[in-house]
Amino acid sequence: MAATADLTATLPRADRSFGFRLALPAILILVVLLAIPAILTVIYSMHNVPPSGVSFGAFVGFDNYTLIFSSPVFWRSVSTTAIFAAGFVVFSTLIGLMMALLLNQPFIGRGIARAMLIIPWATPWLVIGILWKWFADGSVGGLNAVLTQLHVIGEYHEFLSDPKLALPLTILATVWRQASFAGILLLAGLQTLPEELSEAAQLDGASVWDRFVHITLPWLRPMLITVIVLNVIYAFLQFDVVFAMTQGGPGDATQVLSILIYRQLFAATHVGVGSALAVVLGVVSLLGGLLVVKLLYRPDVPAT
Amino acid sequence: MGALQAVWSRRLLRGRQGVTDRPDVIWFRFTMEVKMGDKTTGLIPGQIDRRNFLRAGSAAMLGAAFLPGLMSSTAQAAFAGKLSMLGWDFQPDTIKSLISGWTAKGNPAVDVAIIPNLGYSAAIQTRLRGGDKLDLYYNFAYNSQKFVDQGWASKLNGLPDVDKLLGDMFESARARHVNAAGDIISVPYFSAVHMLHYNAKMLQDAGITTVPSTLKEIYDASKKLQAGGLASPYLAYWVKEFCEEYLHTYLLNEGITAFDESGAAVFADDPKTEGVFAWWQQMYQEGLAPKSALTDDPGKESTLMAQGQAAFFVLHHYFLTSIRSIGGPQSANVKSAPIGGSNFTLQIGEVLQMGNISDADEKNAAWDLMKYYGWKDTDGKFTVFNQWAKAAGLAAPYPGFFTDPDVIKAFPDYYDLPQISKIFATGSKVVPARTLPWYPDFQAKVGDIIHALLLGQATPKKTVDDLTAAAKDAASNKTTL
Repeated sequence: MAATADLTATLPRADRSFGFRLALPAILILVVLLAIPAILTVIYSMHNVPPSGVSFGAFVGFDNYTLIFSSPVFWRSVSTTAIFAAGFVVFSTLIGLMMALLLNQPFIGRGIARAMLIIPWATPWLVIGILWKWFADGSVGGLNAVLTQLHVIGEYHEFLSDPKLALPLTILATVWRQASFAGILLLAGLQTLPEELSEAAQLDGASVWDRFVHITLPWLRPMLITVIVLNVIYAFLQFDVVFAMTQGGPGDATQVLSILIYRQLFAATHVGVGSALAVVLGVVSLLGGLLVVKLLYRPDVPAT
Repeated sequence: MGALQAVWSRRLLRGRQGVTDRPDVIWFRFTMEVKMGDKTTGLIPGQIDRRNFLRAGSAAMLGAAFLPGLMSSTAQAAFAGKLSMLGWDFQPDTIKSLISGWTAKGNPAVDVAIIPNLGYSAAIQTRLRGGDKLDLYYNFAYNSQKFVDQGWASKLNGLPDVDKLLGDMFESARARHVNAAGDIISVPYFSAVHMLHYNAKMLQDAGITTVPSTLKEIYDASKKLQAGGLASPYLAYWVKEFCEEYLHTYLLNEGITAFDESGAAVFADDPKTEGVFAWWQQMYQEGLAPKSALTDDPGKESTLMAQGQAAFFVLHHYFLTSIRSIGGPQSANVKSAPIGGSNFTLQIGEVLQMGNISDADEKNAAWDLMKYYGWKDTDGKFTVFNQWAKAAGLAAPYPGFFTDPDVIKAFPDYYDLPQISKIFATGSKVVPARTLPWYPDFQAKVGDIIHALLLGQATPKKTVDDLTAAAKDAASNKTTL
């Protein structure tokens, strides 16, 4: 940082502002599309905004936040969101890593398999939700057929109407897509791993597990952090799949925070309360991502 | 003499400078061109010869013949722009064909947008809040007063023939469109009554001689059918958004008034209310209704009836068309019957509302379309409702609708129209509280509370308490999650 500051200090003023001017269009777009709506959301969260949106309405300070934090519905939703996020992050990262390791090995048809990896990632979230809703259907769904053929279940089951199974099904649907994204990124990381490292370790008698733990994982650390941080953010912001599959039901079994926000903002038009929920969710997502970085990121220590 | 071709052109001049300051004064200007072969001649006063005189005379006679029709369609089409209409995705092709039929009669063009029914409330509120301009749109009856209060919908008082339209309606239906203060807030899009669709053959085979009508009779019949091997005999559309309709249906079936005339929730005062929720919970917990009743859509349930996987399906009367038209092995055995015994069933109806229109001509044009779509055409025929009857068995809340020969012909013969008309007239209630401005907040809560009941997370007593609290909070504008 000190070296960079010294470097820029020696540049002519025109050159120093050149970078800023180059970035200005992108900054403007970010301000208009992100910063302004975010600031407005915070302002709305402190007002009793009428559904018509003709004005901000009466200023209520933190009353909307008090309402939220004192509501058992909110805390149940937080709990559901936390379980969803944990399952989403863990399974999409693990399955993505497994797919990347597999697709990094030579085998016949590897090219086709790698190409197919992109298919779930290319499918919009809402389509994923609709597909999985039909897949999990209790009368005609393929999931029931598969599980029955494998003798895992004896008869067809209404997964999405069962409060105990609806949330795991939504996690499964979202992991199915997100794991492919994780797999693509991790595969890219694996392909930069020098083969000599693995070969040398093998010659020294390192087992497959030793090579994975001491060579592959450390090499993939930066990519893993990126994948996990993105997964955490996607997990908290997930809406489309849950809405398409269950609309937050049955009961409130799958009512994650994003569904609660939708109901307050768009269905009930409680704009102030919905905005407060959105602010809370935004802060939680940000903190989640920062926590991951804090826990997993270690700057490179130069050799002495 | 070449072919005689008269080309009429009309121009509407509004507020022409120096002539009028009134935007609603319409000036007509006709220009007439007479083509003789390749030669176009204009009329030039003072230079008329015999040939031109005869041509002019012929053209004038043609003009006189066409003028009355031209005047009437011109009067209708005083608005020269395009109307915008929003509806949900029930029979979108029928909607577009009805609207283009209206336009073809010399009326303004209409830009029709169709969006999904699921999430329609959220979508339309977001659009209107964002400044989207709509001339008319479908709406759920329980949202109609809220939309007027927010400035998204216009009151219809004073518009031509609006009192006639209301006078034509069943008295039981008027409260859906007119609030307690006398404001006319909507016109009908369609109306229906909750009925019991049942498989007559299954009942006969099970030895059930009378079609069940009360909640207890339905429970007993369902138990008998389940014992005979039918896993889940009773179907209903118990997704969260629709639980509120069933709440009123089941309460009315037992003769319970949910809300009094001032809109206060009074169902807790009736000792039978807890029994209704106990029944509801039993139907779900004992598997008499399938577990998927909380998430299934009516299309799937119609299919289950058609396939013979259920014996009862309570929903709007027109679902008989869905079940029959699927053509499943049991479709032909499915009939409809009233529910509620000597009490009532719920009369529902979704509505058309007019957007906030400031331009008088545009407002008149939108009103003309509303009358056509929600009442009768200019010839006094139920053109639109006739089409809905043919396409889907939808009804209209007008006594004359059920006796109209064209409508009777349009309905499939498996409908008992006199019976349905009687249910509209005296066997059903609208529940006026459903159009109160705070009602949407209550409606949004009902699904959560009922699902908790059905899933065994709440007792019937707690359900009564929770619903009462939800109604009180909504009525006092108290926001809750």
